[in-house]
Amino acid sequence: MSDREDEMILDDGAGRGFRGGTSSELHRTEQQFDKLDSGSGRDGDTGKAARSIEGWIVFVTGVHEEASEEDLQDKFADYGEIKNLHLNLDRRTGFVKGYALVEYETYPEAKAAIDACNGSTLLEQEIHCDFAFMREPPNAHRGPMRGGRGGGGGPRLRGRSVSPGR
Amino acid sequence: MAQSLQKDPFYIRYYTGHTGRHGHEFLEFEYSQGRLRYANNSNYRNDSLIRKEMYISPIVVQELKRIVETSDITKEDDANWPKKSIVGKQELEIRVGDEHISFETAKIGSLVEVQESDDPDGLRTFYYLVQDLKCLIFSLISLHFKIKPI
Repeated sequence: MSDREDEMILDDGAGRGFRGGTSSELHRTEQQFDKLDSGSGRDGDTGKAARSIEGWIVFVTGVHEEASEEDLQDKFADYGEIKNLHLNLDRRTGFVKGYALVEYETYPEAKAAIDACNGSTLLEQEIHCDFAFMREPPNAHRGPMRGGRGGGGGPRLRGRSVSPGR
Repeated sequence: MAQSLQKDPFYIRYYTGHTGRHGHEFLEFEYSQGRLRYANNSNYRNDSLIRKEMYISPIVVQELKRIVETSDITKEDDANWPKKSIVGKQELEIRVGDEHISFETAKIGSLVEVQESDDPDGLRTFYYLVQDLKCLIFSLISLHFKIKPI
């Protein structure tokens, strides 16, 4: 993985930039990142959805700010046992931020929940659901962003032109 | 859909860290073109480096974008925020729509520091946005890999 392109982004944006150089550790060439090799495997054809280590994660958006875990349990337990449920709060207001993550053990359960609940309503608000994770697309991070201008592929290093030794 | 994510310039990177008695200790995450990367290095008590990557679907990316946009962070400026110090620093880089910000500031321990700064409103926006982003990303990592991210 060599996708460090120090000189790529030099445009002006808001902020001071990282004048002493960024401390980013994510673009060092020797790095290896752990990832799950989540092919469809025993679940048959799962389309683009990727399996997580213990099951399948459904992502829900449009969740009402006053929704409770019980509201989500009531809606999503119809499709299988919910192994985990995250209903995160807005740190400033303390109300629900607007999304939830629901984990099922099997692909058919998660798929059934998505098919039934996407576009439905919860506390009179329309919600949307889909798998949270996808398999790595072919040619990911090898395309037009490499070395190009204006890409989002690496940290911006304003105030430093080209790395030494390049 | 995946194709459109790969072309979308939407980008987020957040870093917080310092170099001290236990070496370079940091936490960093980055979203770019469908891929979410996370790294956390704490040398304290021989904890090791964690590096994780995952591909997130358009619905998750849309929610990340919504959180960024509703925060109005791109209307802020870090000119009067506390400068990085021996205690450490934070970097936040976001590209969304036509906006691009690269903010750098000191580590913020509490809301009292926000309140006593020269730009409490702007710094508060930054403070809560970072917490909301971390909250979502930690949920994604902990459910996908069954690890405690911090």
